[in-house]
Amino acid sequence: MTQIAAERYTGASIKRSEDPRILTGRGRYIADVKLPGTLHAAFVRSPLAHARVLAVDVSAARDLPGVVAVFTGADLEAVTVPGPDPLLALMGGGGPMPEYTLLATDKVRFVGDPVAVVVAESRYLAEDGCELVDVDYADLPPVPSAALALDPGSPPVFVNLGDNIIGPHKRSEFGDVAGTFAGADRIAEFRIDVHRHQNVPMEGRGCVASHDADSGIMTMYAATQSVHVTKFGVAGRLGMEPEKVRVLAGDIGGSFGLKIGASREELAVAAAARALGRPVKWIEDRSENLTASGQAREESFDVRAAVGNDGDLRGLDVKMVIDTGAYPVMGTMVPAIIEMMLPGPYKLTALGFESTAVITNKASYVAYRGPWASETFVRERVLDLLARDLGIDPLEIRLRNVAPRTDPPFTMITGRPLVGVTTKESLERVAQIVDIPTFRRRQAEERTQGRYLGIGLATFIEAAPGPRSPGPPSGPMGLEYMRLSLSEDGILTLFTGQMPHGQSHQTTLAQIAADEFGVPFEQVRVVIGDSDVVPFGLTGGSRSATMTGGVTLHGARQLRNKVLDFAAVLMEASARDLEITDGQVLVRGDPDSGIPVGEIARQAASGQFDADVDTSLEVEASFDGGEGGWSGGSHCAIVEVDVETGIVKVERYVAAEDCGALINPAVVEGQIRGGIAQGIGAVLLERSAYDQDGNYQSATFMDYLLPTACDIPRIEIEHLETVPLDADVNFRGVGEGGMIVAPPTLVNAIEDALAPFGVRIYEQHLPPARILELIGAAAKSRP
Amino acid sequence: MVDITVRVNGATHTGSVEARKTLSDFLRDDLDLTGTHVGCEHGVCGACTVIVDGRAVRSCLMLAVQAAGSEVTTVEGLAPDGALGALQQAMWDSHSFQCGFCTPGFVMQAAALLRAHPDAGEQEIREALSGNICRCTGYQSIIDGVLLAAQRGREG
Amino acid sequence: MRRRGAVPVKLPYVEYEAPATVAEAVDLLAEHQDEASVLAGGQSLIPLLALRLARPAVLIDINGLDELSGVSVTDGWMVIGAMTREYVAEESEIVAGTVPLLAAALPLIGHEAIRSRGTIGGSLAHADPAGELPAVARALDAEFVVRSRPGDRVVSAAEWFEGYLTTSRRPDEILVEIRFPAAGADTGIAFKEVARRHGDFAIVGLAVSLTLTDGVIGDARLAFSGVADVPVRAADAEDLLIGESPSPELFDEAARRATAAIDPPADLHGSSEYRKKVAATLVRRGLQAAADNAYKRR
Repeated sequence: MTQIAAERYTGASIKRSEDPRILTGRGRYIADVKLPGTLHAAFVRSPLAHARVLAVDVSAARDLPGVVAVFTGADLEAVTVPGPDPLLALMGGGGPMPEYTLLATDKVRFVGDPVAVVVAESRYLAEDGCELVDVDYADLPPVPSAALALDPGSPPVFVNLGDNIIGPHKRSEFGDVAGTFAGADRIAEFRIDVHRHQNVPMEGRGCVASHDADSGIMTMYAATQSVHVTKFGVAGRLGMEPEKVRVLAGDIGGSFGLKIGASREELAVAAAARALGRPVKWIEDRSENLTASGQAREESFDVRAAVGNDGDLRGLDVKMVIDTGAYPVMGTMVPAIIEMMLPGPYKLTALGFESTAVITNKASYVAYRGPWASETFVRERVLDLLARDLGIDPLEIRLRNVAPRTDPPFTMITGRPLVGVTTKESLERVAQIVDIPTFRRRQAEERTQGRYLGIGLATFIEAAPGPRSPGPPSGPMGLEYMRLSLSEDGILTLFTGQMPHGQSHQTTLAQIAADEFGVPFEQVRVVIGDSDVVPFGLTGGSRSATMTGGVTLHGARQLRNKVLDFAAVLMEASARDLEITDGQVLVRGDPDSGIPVGEIARQAASGQFDADVDTSLEVEASFDGGEGGWSGGSHCAIVEVDVETGIVKVERYVAAEDCGALINPAVVEGQIRGGIAQGIGAVLLERSAYDQDGNYQSATFMDYLLPTACDIPRIEIEHLETVPLDADVNFRGVGEGGMIVAPPTLVNAIEDALAPFGVRIYEQHLPPARILELIGAAAKSRP
Repeated sequence: MVDITVRVNGATHTGSVEARKTLSDFLRDDLDLTGTHVGCEHGVCGACTVIVDGRAVRSCLMLAVQAAGSEVTTVEGLAPDGALGALQQAMWDSHSFQCGFCTPGFVMQAAALLRAHPDAGEQEIREALSGNICRCTGYQSIIDGVLLAAQRGREG
Repeated sequence: MRRRGAVPVKLPYVEYEAPATVAEAVDLLAEHQDEASVLAGGQSLIPLLALRLARPAVLIDINGLDELSGVSVTDGWMVIGAMTREYVAEESEIVAGTVPLLAAALPLIGHEAIRSRGTIGGSLAHADPAGELPAVARALDAEFVVRSRPGDRVVSAAEWFEGYLTTSRRPDEILVEIRFPAAGADTGIAFKEVARRHGDFAIVGLAVSLTLTDGVIGDARLAFSGVADVPVRAADAEDLLIGESPSPELFDEAARRATAAIDPPADLHGSSEYRKKVAATLVRRGLQAAADNAYKRR
């Protein structure tokens, strides 16, 4: 049986190898990429939500000194491969596809829809050129809301589709829905709305495209979560062989799901670069990022709950509508994940679910950190609402309904086994840390002084990566690959398709490899960001801790065995008696026998060995996730609401989380806190707002408000003892959980604070004005 | 075009720029000092923060021509030769950052804060940094880095 | 609302002048009139230019006019040069001692980096109705001194603020200094605001100054920010307060009168109804704080 290497680095908050460059301004972000002869692109964008494009006159723009070229939608269609969005085509169930051109040709479909691209000697000049492009629009009645889009008579955003309903997802049933509802003590009905908000990384999208006519190679510097997915996106649309496209990425200033594949703008820039024979650079500015890069989460739910009088949540029947915006892709895929996750870690025995995706005149719905998060919001809100109606404590109702940890594991009614889930433990732990009874006494006392404090709890599980399922994994979320090699300078190099954008992979993977292989942390190098060099991979779905951590561990083990087998020949010893410690191969128990691994590699490269000796100190490894597992946790927030101004202060926030074994606790905690901050932002500050004409109203940071250091409290995090499922790989993902569970945690706390006013909350966005409205409305509706 | 002479990180630079060019673009494009990042270009996010004549300012809200005759310090100039100054070291030790895009702005704003208020406590630090936006960290690790730097500064 | 599809953020082309004296600046304004914008701290003007919402032909950069910086006290008035940086005013002991309402408002303006460059005169000439300084100026009946070729003109605060981002400064005039009356010994002040986040523009703000002598209110000034396109004095509430003694009932009635007289706009951050409720709360809290403050100052 192989021995697990002594754990020196794994589990410790090793300082990041990324930080010296980050802290001294020597990071290499996409805007920092400078090639000789680069031109700069800026987009002319539609000021109208829905209109026909009658004519685009670029002559004045073209004549402006410093402007090199202007391309319209028609120009670019002529030099690219037309077709629908490739991801939608891959996932779509047949039937007509929405027309997908890089730039709008005959119609614009949302405010910010790109209509033309101006390429000039500087971004300043390109924007001057944009002002001179004259577009003749004929207004069309807008479809500014899902409610309007549901009307089959609403003006079709895509004429070829006939209406604005893209995904009627036919009804599924799990368990005996009719029987469960018929036998319930009571049926509760709720309409719950989640508002549109968005990723907003501090760095927007961008690329530098450079095409070499002689070799036919397109080099694309990108900010992306996968160089390979971007490569295939560019190759496909530009009609190139994938081998002729090379995608390079360096440091990335955040993404949270936004920067995947190749956007319409990036493809337009690549086409322009090829046409012009000079590098073209586009750096998305903040207003473009807010208006046009994509938005998320706008979903509404009609929920019926079958409930026992003792608080048993027996069944849910849910009808969902998702607003996918004007160029639907991700929005059509999210409902299926929500359906699967709705039961959560609870004993729900029946679920009915159907969804409808609609097209509106808004920016596209994109993936945003935990795209399915609304399932947790709905379920955790429903539990609190039921608890309040039944007079049951919110902790009690959860403990009552949580699935027990059994062997074989309890299975969600939608199919996945809850193997290793520690929801009960995390709920009890967070309650213990917060000391709820003491808080309740304080709450009562403060209420007599006219101060309104509240406490809220919520729990979640996340498939990071989820339990082992039958059959091989496939597609972008399938096997994880890594190439590992030992070089003559003693460096162990890991080549990974992961594309960190804040996840600290260059540190965490090196920790695992250093431990498993037996070299100091400083002797491991992690190579990322070159599609010619790294294997396929994608950073997303909270998969890297398990999948990439696992392939690193197993790959390092395989390479160590290879090195020891070769060293055995070199040192005339048995491989069983050799080990690698502190960068040296030595005979166990004989420290003087040590040979540095670099020397071993030099010997291997010397060509002095018989053909039957394997001297290639390199491994191509893959990993299927092992036993996998769930991540999850329970959060608790204490808030104070100023009922005269509606301002909410988060006084305390506690998270008890379980992500299995920790590779680097500081990295894990940073991910959790960042996700929670986004959840707090979503509830108190952030909204992607459109008016009734489809005009976008949150186009600057004066209107799209992000939380600051005065808005996020110290967050206390407790890591639970986990249930190891796998012999080796028990690291689980943690990137999305904070953002998934923070919104219901906070909304539950706010409703608790406002309980004396009789407030019930069925929505996620609670700015100060809305808090006062809710208090006023509750007062009016009291008998 | 306007001719300007400006001192950046202790070195004198002369250039010829359009009046409309922001200081942030001048630093990044003309002087190749790409450490200063541009996050919004309308003065809200703070990623572009540099120090001008001893005060932290948003370089996207200054024209390059306005820096003529001033001493400008960018993140590259905080410690010589790419080394880590005490504040940067404390932030490294505290795992202050993740994607790093907001980092130069935070470093410069915190440097200015600690120079003026070496004994700043947590609430003061939070308020002083509330004009810098981070999307990754939830701020706690950044505050801890600044607190650690302040503590080490007191210990001498 | 002008319909724009994702606004640009690079400034448009402008000509640039950097006068060395106020006289030169005056000459330039006489020449260019409303084709010129005056660039002071730039914290308000540069974003407007970047978003291409302002399109002057010429920028007149007055940052070289040292003669326009400085704080002094003369004959019961504090005189502050238009180019005095907000952070300088914030750190000034003269300001703290002479016009405590201004000292209370200054730390609420944006963030430190904004106040490093922003100027008192620039902020008042920009006249954002959600800004702190316009409300302070209006509450205290500050005086604005503008200069043009013909000479100097003094404009009262009531006449200075004409509309949204609009003042009565003529295109050939430059704001040179602002005068605030020195606060007397019996004065209590407060600046209260409700903002979405620390440092944001207020949704509604209130500048309060009152004198309290032997428990009786002698003078009362209340000026709102964020309830109209200019700062607004709550005249009815002020009339009510004069001659009365502070009490919660009095302050409630003052709040009622103050909000009855306003019809605030609605935007993404608050409805008109919400702004009125907040305004009422700020009146109650502001008057209480100012009354407490007056006792402390004595």
